[in-house]
Amino acid sequence: MNINPLPQAYTYDLKQSVSDNRLLGFWRMMTGFRRHYFGAVATLGLASVFSMMSFLLIRYFVDEALQAPNLAAILPSVALGFIGLALLQGFFSFLSGRLTAQTAEGVALRLRNYMFDHIQHLTFTYHDNMKTGELIQRCTADVDTVRRFFSEQAIGVGRIFILFVINFGALLSLHVGLALLSVIVIPPIVIMSLFFFRRVSKAWDEYEQQDAKLSTTLQENLSGVRVVKAFARQQYEQDKFEADNYEKFRRGRRFMLMHSGFWPITDVICGAQILVGYGVAAVMVLDGTLTLGAYLAYAGLLINIINPIRNLGRLIVQMSTGMVSFERVMHVIREEREPLTEGAFQPADSLKGEVVFNDVTFGYDPEAPVLKGISFTVRPGQTVALLGSTGSGKTSVVSLLPRFYDYTSGSITIDGVELRDYPRQYLRRQIGIVEQEPFLFSRSIRENITYGVGREVPDDEVIAAAQAAAIHEVIETFPDGYNTLVGERGVTLSGGQKQRVVLARTLLKNPRILILDDATSSVDAETEDSIREALLRLMQGRTSFVIAHRIQTVMRADLILVFDKGRIIQRGTHEELMAAGGMYRHVYDLQSRIEDELEKEIASVGLPL
Amino acid sequence: MSDFHYEEEDFSSQFNGGTLIRILQQARRHWKWVAGFVVAVALVSFLDAFFTYLNKLIIDEGILAADRDRLVGLMIVYAAMIFLQAAAVFTFIYLCGILGQRVMYDLRKKVFNHLQNLSFSYFDRTPVGWIMSRVSSDTERMADLITWNMLDIVWSVTNIVMALVFMATIHWQLTLVVLLLIPVLVVVAVWFKTKILVEYRKARKLNSKITGTYNENITGVRVVKALNREAANLKEFDGLTSDMYRAGYRAAWLSALFLPVVQLLSAVAVGAIVWFGGLETQVGGITVGGIQAFIAYITFMMWPVQEMARVYAEMQQAVASAERFFSLLDSKPEVVNRAGAVEADTMRGTIEFDNVTFYYQPEKPVLTNFNLTVKAGETIALVGPTGGGKSTIVNLLSRFYEPKAGVIRINGRDYTEYTLHAIHARLGVVLQTPHLFSGTIRENIRYGRLEATDAEIEEAARLAGAHEFITALERGYDEPVGEGGVLLSVGQKQLISLARAILAQPDIFIMDEATSSVDTLTEALIQQGMENVMKNSTSFVIAHRLSTIRRADRILVIENGGISEMGSHAELMRQKGHYYNLYTTQFRQALEQQYDPFANGAHANGHSANGHHAEENVA
Repeated sequence: MNINPLPQAYTYDLKQSVSDNRLLGFWRMMTGFRRHYFGAVATLGLASVFSMMSFLLIRYFVDEALQAPNLAAILPSVALGFIGLALLQGFFSFLSGRLTAQTAEGVALRLRNYMFDHIQHLTFTYHDNMKTGELIQRCTADVDTVRRFFSEQAIGVGRIFILFVINFGALLSLHVGLALLSVIVIPPIVIMSLFFFRRVSKAWDEYEQQDAKLSTTLQENLSGVRVVKAFARQQYEQDKFEADNYEKFRRGRRFMLMHSGFWPITDVICGAQILVGYGVAAVMVLDGTLTLGAYLAYAGLLINIINPIRNLGRLIVQMSTGMVSFERVMHVIREEREPLTEGAFQPADSLKGEVVFNDVTFGYDPEAPVLKGISFTVRPGQTVALLGSTGSGKTSVVSLLPRFYDYTSGSITIDGVELRDYPRQYLRRQIGIVEQEPFLFSRSIRENITYGVGREVPDDEVIAAAQAAAIHEVIETFPDGYNTLVGERGVTLSGGQKQRVVLARTLLKNPRILILDDATSSVDAETEDSIREALLRLMQGRTSFVIAHRIQTVMRADLILVFDKGRIIQRGTHEELMAAGGMYRHVYDLQSRIEDELEKEIASVGLPL
Repeated sequence: MSDFHYEEEDFSSQFNGGTLIRILQQARRHWKWVAGFVVAVALVSFLDAFFTYLNKLIIDEGILAADRDRLVGLMIVYAAMIFLQAAAVFTFIYLCGILGQRVMYDLRKKVFNHLQNLSFSYFDRTPVGWIMSRVSSDTERMADLITWNMLDIVWSVTNIVMALVFMATIHWQLTLVVLLLIPVLVVVAVWFKTKILVEYRKARKLNSKITGTYNENITGVRVVKALNREAANLKEFDGLTSDMYRAGYRAAWLSALFLPVVQLLSAVAVGAIVWFGGLETQVGGITVGGIQAFIAYITFMMWPVQEMARVYAEMQQAVASAERFFSLLDSKPEVVNRAGAVEADTMRGTIEFDNVTFYYQPEKPVLTNFNLTVKAGETIALVGPTGGGKSTIVNLLSRFYEPKAGVIRINGRDYTEYTLHAIHARLGVVLQTPHLFSGTIRENIRYGRLEATDAEIEEAARLAGAHEFITALERGYDEPVGEGGVLLSVGQKQLISLARAILAQPDIFIMDEATSSVDTLTEALIQQGMENVMKNSTSFVIAHRLSTIRRADRILVIENGGISEMGSHAELMRQKGHYYNLYTTQFRQALEQQYDPFANGAHANGHSANGHHAEENVA
């Protein structure tokens, strides 16, 4: 099924097509398809030549054949001539269409794939700052506009130009004066249509904007249906929608009015041109300076020149929107990818898991560091707990390990090797992450569990992982078991269930270093225990980083780091920290205070009223 | 997780005549417009054919006859026809274009107004994205069918008929050749257009899949990167884009083949005309102008045929669109005013659930023989596990749904004897996830009572504890809240929706407390706001906060579709049952949160992508 339709779509790195000159950019984007494109233009030219020749054949038919004494003998070949010319014209225009499609669809295929791959290779910093909707817009709508540029406008403008040159050449060969007379109207028509389509495209934009506004109103009404009903505001909503709806109608009407003005006017101008041409040519026939056959050929050629010109303005305006989309696509392509396999150190084996931070500083914005002077050491298999408020830097510390971000200064080593020297891909293979808000893909549960393992996984392994993550029994209750789809088209999982699927996924991945980023906080109480057990199982034998803000979760850690404002303010084991007093002790003490208060509370209601 | 709906484009392969007629009926009100553009386009089409005939006359009677006066006369007619045609073109674009907009406007209005009356059950089972497509794209396709498609048919049919008439007047025997051509052209055109349409549909489906894949890969980019899935994902994606390439390419080359094939067929006919016509000239059966006209008519014939084929394909889509659209329009609201329902000024009074049973699906009852009597002015707290039936109770009370069995009485009267408006107008509701509309803060609060003055709005905001933060905003009450209120924090949205409910001065107040935590100050303000609205109304609160629970006159523990415990806070605590457990768990959590020394710096993080998350409470 998935045989590459176009090998050349994969060999060219689109990064090279980046250019400040947009036309050059378009040119480079056609790399690998230029032969197709020029083939398309050339065959289009040939098709136009044969189409033009059928008019000359009419001239021959009227001027020569009909006058010839052996008319009956000549006629079949003239008839065949028309068919032959149509055959040739058809063949070449079909070829041209095919080559155009190959160019446009090929460029689009390569661009889609490139954008997709590019985006998953862009840095976290880029994704943090880019809106999803905006990025999707560029990958879909803008890419499609670029495709249309190649399939319609680039070839369309060429087509009009070729039609003009060939037909005008033929006209000149018929009669120079007549030929010149026949194109007077072209410059004003082109200017007019350019002017018109520019305004029309503005009117169209306004129409589309109102459409977007109407959609928002509708969407808000539908998603707020409870509020609307609860306040009995149906009439109000209808009025609001009516206002937006009417405005859309008004703008659409305006758009239509513009069209209803433009087309009749150009009809009249073009009609006048044709009429004048016919009239002058007819008089020339009567005066004997033009043959009747030439008159007939002229009549056909004239229409072939005039009609396409009316669309030139539209094409040029569309080309300018194509340019805008191209720029927006290029803007994404210009971004640098993060190299996945580069690294001075190419390890052959798994990590042992010794992690050393030494005076590490880091900021998403280099001006505003979120981590300052972080130093600590973890031995293989140990568990480190990171405690602190949101924004104190816990998540940033663990984000550095898979090289999601690179630290600004200081040193981090794993097994004695500087982190920067490891290839990112290797690190990410060795590190397992369970995030606070588990993310599942709209695939089957089985695929979600094996996602990222990078090999074929037998069923019993999947089931074993699911059992260890305490989710197997839940999955069994789903209609299609492990093949049940997650999300809109399948089952909706609760936060705790999602979390356990992610745990199974991580178990299967079998990482050497484990990061648990507040993994139980979005889970309800009933499932918390089963998840906690699964987590403990997962942590066994791996260097683990546990982010939490409740003491119970971290008490058993080998090393507890207490964070505040990007610094480590306390460190040690539970016992050491308890003895030392300070923040940790303070947090711990609250626990017993809470129990005291609860008892008081219960006592207060326990008394007879 | 994802807002993208995989738009299903399923078409019934055959015309549903009834649906087609129903679409056409949508234009009945505007029949004059339809008649106008039909006449105009018929005229345009007639003139298109007539120009060819004029050309024949110019050649035969002007040039060949060397009659200069006749030539001038024909030229004048030609010029007049140009102006006439331009006028007709103007008329049909104007009428058809504006009628199309008008029909879309009508359809959108009709369906929107219908949507306002549909019941909750409809929205429960219908995704918003699906409805949106009906309102936007389906209305457009239907309007196109009534206007441009109809116009194209009229133009095509007129053009072919007039061409045949003119040809027959020139030379009827040769016309028979053309008559042979037409059915062949039609069959070929329909075959091609149907094939092309299939590819387009494929491409459209693939396109929405591609968009969905982009969306998922971008929103899940952290996981993708962490799990080194880049190469595998690209390979999968390449499968989609390669299929897309194939569909697009196939559609394109089918189109590229279509015209040449049709042209070739025409050329065969032209060849035949040249051959027989040429022979006929010798016996005077046809003139040069006549042959020229035949060639022109035949060459031009492919356009109306191709238009009709296109329209045929588009009409299939329009009918499928209309089927979905009408299915929405035909769905009946389940909760409606009973015959003879009365308006009432107040809903204050005793509220009584009498043996109420309710289910969404008959095999899964949510409430069974539920009984409850609430005195006017009482505050009821509903607690218990998710899915126990708390929301159902308030939804029934709000008459968003009606009991499947049993009666709910307000002020001693079966509440279905009131109009829906009577109940809803006296209701104040604050949802768990507050919903705001785009617009200013003022507009959002005014939603509670449209005729409220600015002073009343401010008063409501004060009572809700929202005034402070609103006036601190740059534009105060005129600050826009953004789409769905995105520019405000969750706490601020809650305060505004409280103010909205307070402004409504409801007799029955319903609040589904938010589970997400807000900062302590906002929390206190919300409490105060709730107290203000509860003072004057009978209140039902799905409670998550201890203070709310404690303050309630009565607490109902709802489990498995019934009341498992009921009483005041103190009474229930003494029972040491479910409530006791629930309360102590929550108490611990609340205190933990309250005392959490880490909770202060909660917004210090400049790294917003995965910053704040909501803590969940148990109740």
